[in-house]
Amino acid sequence: MLHNIKVSHSPHIRKHHSTQSVMLDVIIGLLPAVAASLIFFRAKAAIVLTSCIVSCVVFEALCNLARKKPNSLGDLSAVITGIILAFSLPPTMPAWACVIGSGFAIIIGKMVFGGLGANIFNPAMAGRCFLTACFGAMMTTWTVPATIDSQMPKMGETQNWSISTSATPPSASTVSPVPAAITSATPLALSKEAIKSKAAGKGTSAETVNNIFKYMVIGEKGGCLGETSAIALIIGGIYMLLRGTISYILPAAVLGSAFLCASIGWLIDPQYYIAPWVHLVGGGLLIGAFFIATDPVTAPLTKKGMWIFGAGVGALTMLIRMVGEYPEGVMFAVLLMNAVTPLIDRFTKLTPTGGKVNA
Amino acid sequence: MLNINRTGKLTFGGGVHPPDYKRLSEDCQIKPIAVPKQLSVMLSQHIGAICKPLVNKKDHIAAGQVIAAAEAFVSAPIHSPVNGTVKDITLCSHPVLGRAEAIVIDSDPDNQPKQYNSTKFDSSFNPDKFTAEKIFDSVRNAGIVGMGGAGFPTNVKLKANPNSQIHTVIINGCECEPFITCDYRMMLEWTNQILAGAMLAAKALNCKDIYIGIEDNKPRAIEAFKKVIEQMPAAKDIKIVAVKTKYPQGGERQLIKSVIDIDVPAGGIPPMVGVLVTNVATAAAIAEAVVLDVPLTYRAVTVSGSGIKNPGNFYVPIGISAGELIELAGGLTDDAVKIILGGPMMGFAVADLSIPVTKTSGAITVLTAKEIGSVRIKAKETPCIRCGRCIEVCPMNINPTKIAHAAKHNLLDVAEEYNMSVCIECGCCSYICPADIEVAGYIKTGKILTARQKKLMPK
Repeated sequence: MLHNIKVSHSPHIRKHHSTQSVMLDVIIGLLPAVAASLIFFRAKAAIVLTSCIVSCVVFEALCNLARKKPNSLGDLSAVITGIILAFSLPPTMPAWACVIGSGFAIIIGKMVFGGLGANIFNPAMAGRCFLTACFGAMMTTWTVPATIDSQMPKMGETQNWSISTSATPPSASTVSPVPAAITSATPLALSKEAIKSKAAGKGTSAETVNNIFKYMVIGEKGGCLGETSAIALIIGGIYMLLRGTISYILPAAVLGSAFLCASIGWLIDPQYYIAPWVHLVGGGLLIGAFFIATDPVTAPLTKKGMWIFGAGVGALTMLIRMVGEYPEGVMFAVLLMNAVTPLIDRFTKLTPTGGKVNA
Repeated sequence: MLNINRTGKLTFGGGVHPPDYKRLSEDCQIKPIAVPKQLSVMLSQHIGAICKPLVNKKDHIAAGQVIAAAEAFVSAPIHSPVNGTVKDITLCSHPVLGRAEAIVIDSDPDNQPKQYNSTKFDSSFNPDKFTAEKIFDSVRNAGIVGMGGAGFPTNVKLKANPNSQIHTVIINGCECEPFITCDYRMMLEWTNQILAGAMLAAKALNCKDIYIGIEDNKPRAIEAFKKVIEQMPAAKDIKIVAVKTKYPQGGERQLIKSVIDIDVPAGGIPPMVGVLVTNVATAAAIAEAVVLDVPLTYRAVTVSGSGIKNPGNFYVPIGISAGELIELAGGLTDDAVKIILGGPMMGFAVADLSIPVTKTSGAITVLTAKEIGSVRIKAKETPCIRCGRCIEVCPMNINPTKIAHAAKHNLLDVAEEYNMSVCIECGCCSYICPADIEVAGYIKTGKILTARQKKLMPK
């Protein structure tokens, strides 16, 4: 009768969830943005997404084989790394570059540390960082979403549209009737130009970027795959908040501190610094707030630590956007804060209920 | 001094909401049972010094006779539940200690089961008939220990201490563990007696404020108390407090926080903040001991879980084996996977049905794969993803994952740096862990290893 009786530590019942189900919730949260990227960038998005996801999964499997460890693909974290890496790449990224980025993300970013839970840096951001360092030009070539009529760019001021990233006159896009790809400066690149023009004493104004706020929310603008549609990211973020997959603290801290920092510039000189709400929906800030900074492995454990981490990500992002050389800074901000996460954990030790022991 | 009209839910920080499964046995009256042929009465029924047996092999003993004496202050004597003969004093399975000494009693065939009769505690009950000394002596002589699980000798708690005057008695009617319903049934069936016990405990400590904390998922128990209080003049100042239903609401620190909003210092005990917390079953036993001079030899036990054919609540003698109790409840189903002494959150899984019921065992829970989760049975932990859920649910606000990780690698000083000793072992962290890590298990192991290092515990 007792042959199949088991013994173990208490508790004997568990909440019915697992690492896999938590990760699945994140993937579901990413789906609206996946859909948006497919709508805006069509085949290009499909190629980048597929090559990133497949190669991340394959690299993780290979690493497990090499380390003679059990298969860990079931936790789905490699899929998330793939999606987030793809989301942080421009749609024109060739598949082979995606594979290289994924390889770096999984092998160097995650598996050499010991796999899921042991990595210090967000793997997707590590991969993207590697690609930025290797293929700078590729990483800053932005295509116009496919939904925008190639003959008639409707977004923003016409002079911001060009065949290449250089400031070619807009008429150039109408010279050839069917261009291979229409590229445009991203709103944040324009914002950077506005800031730089201040120093040069020229007239490019932040107003141009502020005017395309509506398009940035929907996603009809140039940019990385997953960064374009603010609304899709917000829907996914709300889903994860409702499911309890992420805590509200990290997104609130990232967006709150970014908003504050952006407001400072805007209040000083609204002519050259774009409005804070435009900063929030621009670039990778939303995906960073909801999906990258919330990576539990590389964020601090305690609530206080999360506030510090999130505020750091937001502030560093804005520092890079407004003062630094790069138009966008989410990746560097996240990686820098990842590096100090152990320190934050150390300085935000919890005090037990009822005060310190022997105090 | 104490403001009970706090706004909002009466609760504590952290905690989890496991499904309560109480429906299985909440409507089953506490049933008396036929006296078992054999009882094994453990010599260690409680926290504190182990008792010394006073009887020898083949001695004939009477029900209520002291069979093992408490020599130390923190201890409680043990009485025989039945008339019978001492068969042996031998080692016997114990859920925590592994094996421990027990007095095995062959009961006489003509034994009558102890009937429960709470009519002796009617509305005219008045605690002022008894002096504090009489209450203390009766409780000490009756061998009463905390019946909620920890088993701290009650007389020690009732000894008035001039250095820390107790100002509040809280009776713990939370029963936050899933499945268990014996306290709930007691609150419905022996309401008067529990109130009498609460008043006697307060009288022994010369304190005025009495609260009965009940989780708000037990409205019938709350009603029952309110009704009796209306008719009982002596009990008119007892306050019934509906606290939020959340595990571990029945932990004494959590209950004190919920009811009177005081934090017991970490590493301290409730008397340090002037509070006595005692379980409803203990309160009932106090009343019985003081008023009727009946020692603690019987207790109510819930036998439940989907691995049990007919779940129910039983009034059983101390020393009955788990196996016999399970048979009383119809036996195990074929798909039973885990037999637990206690509830599923803090109980001990056993694989030996000869383990006897002690004064502290309130339940036997038998789980099937359905409740444990078939994946869980394989008990395969995956890497910690540092999600912080364990920190969020920890009622003591410590860092379970860090402590568990340190304990796993035998870094006991690191574990202590993260306040391992503060852990109340409620198991919320393991319950919530998506990676299926035995967080609480590692912490408990770490605590034992530390105790061994400090030579507080034998190897």
